[in-house]
Amino acid sequence: MNEEAKASPQTRRSFMGRLSGAFVGLSVFSGLWVVLRSLIPNVLYEPPKRFKIGSPDHFQSGVSYLDEHKVYIFKQGNGFFAISGVCTHLGCTVKFSPYSQEKQITVRGKEFSAPGEFHCPCHGSKFHAEGTNYSGPAPRPLKWHRLNLAPDDGQLIVDLFSEVDRDFRLVV
Amino acid sequence: MSLLPKSSFLDRLTWPWKPESSREAGSAVVSSFLLHWFSHRTSLRSLSFKSSMYLGTIALNLFIILTVTGVILMFFYVPSVERAYWSIKDIDFAISFGWLLRRLHRVTAHLMVAVVFVHMFRVFLTGAYKAGDMVRSARHWNWVMGVGMLVLTLLLSFTGYLLPWDQLAYWAITVGTNIAAAVPMIGEQIRQFLLGGTEIGQPTLIRFYVLHVFFLPVILFALCAWHMWRIRKDGGLAVIDQVRRDAANRPAAIPKKSKTYSILGIAKGTSIAVSDPTTLNDDNSVPSSPFLTVRILLVSLTTLAVSIILAIVFQAPLEAAANPEVTPNPAKAPWYFLGLQELVGYSALMGGVLIPGIAVLGLAMIPFVDREQKGLGLWFTDSKGRTFGMLGFAVGIIITAFCVTLSLLFPTRELFSGIESQFFFDFVNPATLLLVLFAVLFFVVAKITKSKRYASIATFCAFIVGFLLLTYIGTALRGPNWDFYWPWQAWPHHPITY
Repeated sequence: MNEEAKASPQTRRSFMGRLSGAFVGLSVFSGLWVVLRSLIPNVLYEPPKRFKIGSPDHFQSGVSYLDEHKVYIFKQGNGFFAISGVCTHLGCTVKFSPYSQEKQITVRGKEFSAPGEFHCPCHGSKFHAEGTNYSGPAPRPLKWHRLNLAPDDGQLIVDLFSEVDRDFRLVV
Repeated sequence: MSLLPKSSFLDRLTWPWKPESSREAGSAVVSSFLLHWFSHRTSLRSLSFKSSMYLGTIALNLFIILTVTGVILMFFYVPSVERAYWSIKDIDFAISFGWLLRRLHRVTAHLMVAVVFVHMFRVFLTGAYKAGDMVRSARHWNWVMGVGMLVLTLLLSFTGYLLPWDQLAYWAITVGTNIAAAVPMIGEQIRQFLLGGTEIGQPTLIRFYVLHVFFLPVILFALCAWHMWRIRKDGGLAVIDQVRRDAANRPAAIPKKSKTYSILGIAKGTSIAVSDPTTLNDDNSVPSSPFLTVRILLVSLTTLAVSIILAIVFQAPLEAAANPEVTPNPAKAPWYFLGLQELVGYSALMGGVLIPGIAVLGLAMIPFVDREQKGLGLWFTDSKGRTFGMLGFAVGIIITAFCVTLSLLFPTRELFSGIESQFFFDFVNPATLLLVLFAVLFFVVAKITKSKRYASIATFCAFIVGFLLLTYIGTALRGPNWDFYWPWQAWPHHPITY
């Protein structure tokens, strides 16, 4: 071994060895990437997240449940709002259990006239009618979805992509 | 094989299984492919039912039955959301013996989960995960592999659960994948990766199907082979350590007198006393063929017979077709997850992610925590260990019952009704308390006895009864809305809509 090689331990052979190692690593990584990326869908053939549910005057005062969309539509006076029926704990569908008559409850320091409350069958979480969790393992209030009026035919539109806070009202 | 001239073809095929001499038994193990994974002799202690209960053999047999019935069922099952449920109906009602195959597949799946758990209890309680003083084996790594195989068994059951595409399947998977979503930060991404979308649908079914029929069984099969190869490399069952100890303590034997030499100046007397270092001899062992093989045959046939009887007695339930719009009340996971579901009822993060994670990690770490090399192959190590085991059982029942009672009488959310932070409720709840009390039990016993082995025994026994009690509560004492009902209390009638 000459002086030059002693000074730098890098030989042609060790360099090629490391280069091959890097290529093997890169190939394995790209192989894994191809497999994993293919499993993340680019197109979802799922029901639309934004849909028309009919004209506002079709809804009676109080609570209506749209079971195919898992959404509760509330009509109080001329105000509308939509609460998701998916429990925030583990995704079971909550059931609305009505009171015998409407109750005035105070949640988050606000008066709310509640026709009932939500119960989850899976782990017993309970929610006030305006979505706030008050008992059981549910970590968050039920989601509120944005409601719009369709500009063309005036139907209500539920937008599952858009979440709104619990003071939202669509006044018609 | 010139020594053993065998005339007929049948004789040549079967002689290894019915050797007529010790010598033939020895050659049998070498020359037969199926016998080569046994050692040539097996100690009487290893053969004894008491030392292993043949639980590993039973688990492997169940896995084989599952593979055979599963592959046949693949001819009939269609993994599509439109047809899956109806192909199961066909299996139950239109295909000859389809009902038997499906019931057998289902009942052995449940049995396998149970047997794998009991196998783990046995291995722990007999200290069979220890390397041992006599031979420094790698048994501790085989234990870690075993924990991995337990997880794989549970995953196989879980992925199989979705396939019938009935209400039970649909909602068990809803709950299961949302438990994954409780992982902080990346939970929702994990959930969507499992589902292959934002909700359960065709991509989910095909994912679970491919995992269930290909990836998981292949990995489990490979691990089974490795697990058993390791047992051979580690010298057999853990009781072999006792046999080796006996061999080492065996008094030096005087060789049989054939000729007498005097070895003047080296030894006194006219012959040499030799201690016999061989572990296995004619007194403490027998040839593996046929003594081990007939026992394995007996255990295998019993497993098969019991599975078939259970399959004939118990129906495989099929609920209504999956309906995303109606959650059944109560919605329950399979029995081996009901203990977990009870804990998930206190907090999804603690009960569904942290506690199972800590339990699996804790189990895998046992051999590295308890490094005392005593009592290999002996149940509970010794009488002191037995006492701490019983203490563990008692304490486990008490603290688990205490935590469940606490959750029923003082729900944390009502106890601290002024607090809104979810972080607080994820860490202050009965499930966390249960975890802390188990840890306290470990450290208290470790402090008193100055032995991590006794501390592990007490904690492990507490874990066993805690798991059983939570499973019982989740199975039998939880009714609609996950409310608590005593066994003698009737559930309120809930109208079922499909």
